[in-house]
Amino acid sequence: MRKHRGDRIILFTTFILLIAGLIIIYAIGPMRANFLNAAYGGDISENHFFIRQLVNVILSIAAFVVAVKLPYETTKKLGKWILLAGIVLSVALLVLAKTGSSLAKCELGACRWINIGSFGSLQPAEFLKLGLLLYLSQLAASRKADGTLNKSDFWLPAGVASVISLALVVVVQKDLGTGVVIIAIILATIFASGVEMKKFALVMGAILVAAVGVIVTSPHRVERVRTFINGDGADTYHIENAMIAIGTGGLTGVGVGNSVQATGYLPESINDSVFAVMGETFGFLGLTAVVVIFVVMLTRIMRVAELAATEEQRLVAVGVFAWVAVQMAVNIMAMTGLIPLTGITLPLLSYGGTSMMFVAVALGVSYQLSCYTKREKELAQKKFSSGHLKKRRLNENSSSRRR
Amino acid sequence: MDEKRLKFLKIMLYVVAGVIVGRLFQIQILQKNEWVAKAEAQHTFENKIPAKRGEIYMMDGSEAEPVVMNEQVYTVIVDPFEADERKIKETIFTEGMKNYLTVAEANEVFADKTRRYFVVAKNVPRELAQKIREAEPGAVWLRENTKRVYPEGQLAARLLGFVNEDGEGQYGVEAALNEELSGKDGMLKTVADVNHVALSIGKDNVKVPAEDGKNVVLSIDKNIQAGVEKILAQKMAEFGKDQASALVMDPRDGTVLAMANLPSYDPANYGNVESAEVYVNRVTSDPYEPASVCKGFTFATGIDLGVLTPETVFYNNGYEMIDGWQIKNSTYGRSDLLGPTTIQNAYNWSLNTGSIYALKLLGGDPNQITVKGRKILYDYYVNHFGLGKLTGIELFEAEGLINDPEVGDGRDSMYANMTFGQNLMVTMIQVASGYSALVNGGEYYTPTVVKGYMEDGKLVEKEKAGPVRRAVSEETSTTMRRMMWGTRELMRAQGIDRAGYDVGGKTGTAQVIRDGAYSMDEWVATYVGYGGATGQMPQYLIMVRIWKDGETTGAEQYAQPVFNDISNFMIDYLKIKPGV
Repeated sequence: MRKHRGDRIILFTTFILLIAGLIIIYAIGPMRANFLNAAYGGDISENHFFIRQLVNVILSIAAFVVAVKLPYETTKKLGKWILLAGIVLSVALLVLAKTGSSLAKCELGACRWINIGSFGSLQPAEFLKLGLLLYLSQLAASRKADGTLNKSDFWLPAGVASVISLALVVVVQKDLGTGVVIIAIILATIFASGVEMKKFALVMGAILVAAVGVIVTSPHRVERVRTFINGDGADTYHIENAMIAIGTGGLTGVGVGNSVQATGYLPESINDSVFAVMGETFGFLGLTAVVVIFVVMLTRIMRVAELAATEEQRLVAVGVFAWVAVQMAVNIMAMTGLIPLTGITLPLLSYGGTSMMFVAVALGVSYQLSCYTKREKELAQKKFSSGHLKKRRLNENSSSRRR
Repeated sequence: MDEKRLKFLKIMLYVVAGVIVGRLFQIQILQKNEWVAKAEAQHTFENKIPAKRGEIYMMDGSEAEPVVMNEQVYTVIVDPFEADERKIKETIFTEGMKNYLTVAEANEVFADKTRRYFVVAKNVPRELAQKIREAEPGAVWLRENTKRVYPEGQLAARLLGFVNEDGEGQYGVEAALNEELSGKDGMLKTVADVNHVALSIGKDNVKVPAEDGKNVVLSIDKNIQAGVEKILAQKMAEFGKDQASALVMDPRDGTVLAMANLPSYDPANYGNVESAEVYVNRVTSDPYEPASVCKGFTFATGIDLGVLTPETVFYNNGYEMIDGWQIKNSTYGRSDLLGPTTIQNAYNWSLNTGSIYALKLLGGDPNQITVKGRKILYDYYVNHFGLGKLTGIELFEAEGLINDPEVGDGRDSMYANMTFGQNLMVTMIQVASGYSALVNGGEYYTPTVVKGYMEDGKLVEKEKAGPVRRAVSEETSTTMRRMMWGTRELMRAQGIDRAGYDVGGKTGTAQVIRDGAYSMDEWVATYVGYGGATGQMPQYLIMVRIWKDGETTGAEQYAQPVFNDISNFMIDYLKIKPGV
């Protein structure tokens, strides 16, 4: 397939979301610094969070550019290695945590990050997301070509990679939120690859059983579900305050820098709860715009899938779609009290480096793939012809009956 | 088929996005007011702007001088969770801070590291607080508050009262005038962050400034107060008595010049007392039986109604039998006083038979006590002289008790006792105010201890209230002064009362009720008297009460000498020129 102009809308929406995130961090970063200084007697400067987020955005743009420029054939080959890196890093993290090394960064008993000096920290789970996405796409595409998609040739390696990744993230790192995103990537890729519905339903069932098992074996997750249903506990405070922030915003919001909820009432105001602060700041119109921008971006990514030159590229685009869509939806639905809190970031908007960079890479890959899609005209022609063909057959049938 | 699956995923996205936008519409548009209300409840804080408590002044001659002042002090609070133990030790647990620390060792503060709030020192003066602030130990708050300071030490402590930890006045002036002194706190309503630090974000921030408390100027002259307390202390030591109260007032307008109660206490360390009894201002809030000083009220009633004069003669039998009780004179054994004698003698020698005779005359029958007599005595005691009811002074007072003249058994013996000040409960301020009316020309003034207020460093005097009522006629008052002067012949003979001065008075030795009966060996001594230049209205009225539990304290022996000293002190202090 010859290279043509990429989908500028993917580029554009990515850029808008990054800028919106920067604006909000610029507005509430000082409040966060102030709160942390007051609470823990620290000495964080007012611009601390904005500057770091600016660095994150620049790095993410760089990552995006690399993902766009790096030939897909190369990226494809890296997939396996990225997955392997994710597994190795996760195991390394586990070892570091067990040995009590300061390299393992833990919060509330969950060790999810590896400290990498003054630069910040690295989240191995993000490697797993991207690696698994690329690996499963390749595997499914090649097995489909072989005609063994519904055989153990596909299910065995796919299952092993998925179970290992999920076990590391959900059980070892206790990160159900990221687990949900990984499940979404796995399910979407398999689903789109065209596996038999019966087999797919079986996978869904297995995941459901595993999910219930994971929840009931962990008192902390049972508690989260319980408090979500009963409306009490620490998460309830978090959700309640997220909704206070969103509700206070009204139609047009209180304006940049006027968020009161961000002055310490709303937990994780710059990370997981940034959507709520945006709601307070920009109101219903602002949040709807954010959701619409996401939907437009995702529709265009799905379009890349629809027009993909190869089966593999199609599955990669679907995987990215699932990744961004589910991470966005899970974050926003938790903030609006529709589902329990899981603690994941809002793609491109939340403060935090690893998450933003990996989403940028995924979007960069999608953008590159959008340069190699089939022309819409071709597709339209094909659609038209196949439709025409069907119609004729139908006509034939009816006429034959009449006879 | 695969295309359908992609379409399905896309539709799922749209459905979820639709649900989200619907939910946002619900929260941000439909429920907006609810969430705004919740936000306001959470964000809005009302901070008290504390009003400055007024200071208390006393007169120093014609100038007002502060005797209770405010000092800015600091409470030092540490957050053991965040604080650096070594730094806290170095900066706060220093030699200079010793007197203010609430814990002996820094270790105690850090015994429980999960605590976030620990008061380590109180009442820290500004300079020391400044030092701590400059040392920047971290995780330390200095909370500003005020402390009362007493430049005159224990002077008039039981009159002044104190301010407790919560800033509320307790006892004395501090309690009685708490409202005026404390002023009105202001309010700052503001949107604040989660640590309650005010934000500039809110548009509904409200500020109501505090109204500071008034600076009250007492009519008490601190020199007279100090003089009286000194004399009381001397005499208590000399006589071996442990309780004494004294009151000095200007009988011409009811102004209180001194109100002393000993023993005193240190109001700056008010907690260091053995019993809360030491806080009580007995002059106004401890009703008792002042005994024979009340004969003045009884005789004045008779004189005012024209049924007797100081020269009226009655037969002194040494005792009376009433309701089957034998009521004796304290001079029972002195045969020279038996037989016919005058009312003036009854006053001089405190003959109970004399005052009982006066009660009989009030009822119109010299041979027996009647309802009419009792009713008249009650009327004069309560309605003319203000006994057994609140005087209206600006302090907390006790009401006391004057029993009804008609209802109840044994009224004759009760009223016979009342003629000489037993079987009733009255406060010193009631007796002194009544006596003021007896000697000042006959007009009753509400006693007052407040002269005015300090406003911008200037004394703004309160408007003087006129007399409340006429208690007795002017002539009766003149007669009463003559009678009171008559009791002090010996004092003049001894040169205690100097020539050119008109000093009169009356003793009162009361038996104390113990276990429901009057005790023969526990007495309280009282003396009330006036003084001034001869030929002029009295310039001061003094009432003294002195006793020790379980001892017989006779008025002539113990209370009169105290009066004598205070009287002469007053003549000197007021520089009263002798009259002719």
